[in-house]
Amino acid sequence: MLAYIARKILHLIPMLLVISFLIYLGIDLMPGDAVDFMISPDELATVSPQQLATMRANLGLDKPFMLRYLIWLESLVKGDFGYSIQSGVPVSELFEKTLPATLELSFAALLLSTVLGSILGVVSALRRGSITDNVLSVAGMLGIAIPQFLFGLICIIIFVFKLGWLPAGGRMTPGHEAFFQRLDHLILPACVLGLSMTAGVMRYARASMLDSMNRDFVKTARSKGLPEWRVNLLHGFRVACTPVAVLIGFRLPMLIGGAVVVEQIFQWPGIGVMFLSAVRTQNTPVVMMVGFFSVLLVLVASIIVDIVTAMLDPRVKLQ
Amino acid sequence: MKKDKLGRKMDRLLERELAGELGHSNRNRALRKFGANKLAFAGGLVFAVILLLCIFAPLFTQFSSTNVDLRNRLSPPGSVHIMGTDQIGRDIWSRMLYGGRISILIGLGSALGATLIGVSLGTWAGYRGGFLDATIMKLSELLMSFPQIILVLILVSIAGQSLWNIIFIFVLTGWPSMYRMTRSQMLSIREEDFVQALRAFGVSDVLIAFKHILPNAIGPIFVNITLSTATFILQESALSFLGLGVPSNVSTWGNILSPAQNLTILRENWWIWLPVGLALSIFVLAINFIGDGLRDAADPSQMG
Repeated sequence: MLAYIARKILHLIPMLLVISFLIYLGIDLMPGDAVDFMISPDELATVSPQQLATMRANLGLDKPFMLRYLIWLESLVKGDFGYSIQSGVPVSELFEKTLPATLELSFAALLLSTVLGSILGVVSALRRGSITDNVLSVAGMLGIAIPQFLFGLICIIIFVFKLGWLPAGGRMTPGHEAFFQRLDHLILPACVLGLSMTAGVMRYARASMLDSMNRDFVKTARSKGLPEWRVNLLHGFRVACTPVAVLIGFRLPMLIGGAVVVEQIFQWPGIGVMFLSAVRTQNTPVVMMVGFFSVLLVLVASIIVDIVTAMLDPRVKLQ
Repeated sequence: MKKDKLGRKMDRLLERELAGELGHSNRNRALRKFGANKLAFAGGLVFAVILLLCIFAPLFTQFSSTNVDLRNRLSPPGSVHIMGTDQIGRDIWSRMLYGGRISILIGLGSALGATLIGVSLGTWAGYRGGFLDATIMKLSELLMSFPQIILVLILVSIAGQSLWNIIFIFVLTGWPSMYRMTRSQMLSIREEDFVQALRAFGVSDVLIAFKHILPNAIGPIFVNITLSTATFILQESALSFLGLGVPSNVSTWGNILSPAQNLTILRENWWIWLPVGLALSIFVLAINFIGDGLRDAADPSQMG
């Protein structure tokens, strides 16, 4: 097991190098550079080309591309993520500010979608062909077809404007910053993000539950005279969990990237909103770090998926 | 003995088999199964209606989708503007129709483009294997390890916002999954006896791969085209909603929805975002129904 993990991690490194290089290259290809965004158009007339050149030199923008990339890579290895070009704040500090907000939102949504999706999927598999099953599959189809932002807007209309139960956006009201005092801000975005992710989990859970219910080991368990709930949950669902775990593993990266739209609608001060504005203003270090961490998360998640699969399904062995 | 549903179905099949009604080719059976699927049929109908409304937009509205009329800003649905007007006086109904053209073009165009690239690469590399296959596989792994929206946003800022750039970006991010699907199909079919036979006859690799093997994988490919059309239409709307998709002066379903980010418009002017949001959702739902119907029809393990 340990050797397996170590080998996987060694495989990560070349992948991360290539990806970080591609991101850096991509950002370099964008028209204009950060200095263009730091000076407003009205002031441009008063700034001499020499001053512009000095600004570029100070930011290290005058060096050749490969050198800049290597410098960036070196500082990354040392644990220095660079500075936001716009505000001069260290990128790590920006992360410290936005990461908790995004994780709070995404974990809530991931938890909600996993629990709800698995339960609904298993229920509709066990009652295959019933009214419950049909209603759930239509709801699942709707959940996939309605754009996330539209669903969010409709929820704002209903729960904020019509019913007035919940605040429209933001993460907290000033002065009420303890977790339970700002819980009301979390409910709506987390439910919108979570419910829009539920449909996929539900379809997966239903399909794999149906699949495992027809397998021999479930029939064996049943013929041993075990009570029906034990057959379904301990034997059927355990194996049916595997594809669901895989799906959730693939969704772990959404902890960073997936909430962009929901964060924007609810003005949630997270990584997604920060990333959007960094892309718009070509804030290279910030874009780099968000891109880099989300790819890292994807790769780590795929290792976790392998391990969890081996734990859940006794037939799978790690090689 | 009382028979269950499957038993009765098998009996009917047996009757028809004996009466000589069965025995059509597989393709006919797939067509018949698709026709018998009510949801898929309804989906096809809705798809066709919306598609025709958009294609023949000038027949269904006398307004232009870009004409600004500042005297008629934010007017609610009425007899002149049947869906009302937006915040600079453009007719919503005509924007919906003309916007549908662009949104559907992006969805279908990107899906077809991604399919063309993914399927041709997958067919050839899957059949030949070796270095080419390993390289493309690594490349697709690389592209797929990016979270979709982050990759799309980075590409949007590199390429800039325009209709063709968006399609290009969707093709670029969409082909790897088509490639993998086609490749896995090729890997299993290339081991079949008929391929060995063709090879023994000295048929060229290109002919074997594209003419003899590829048609066997056509079912899953069509399913994938429909489902990725739906995905791309949704992605376009999300991107345009964020203001990072097609330039905002072009009507697309996402661009029409975009003003709803403003809470005042969201609360007071429902006609700006609700009808187009519904149209978008219904259209995507219809495509998904068609895709599911195709999937069932193409799956030989499901009789009917």
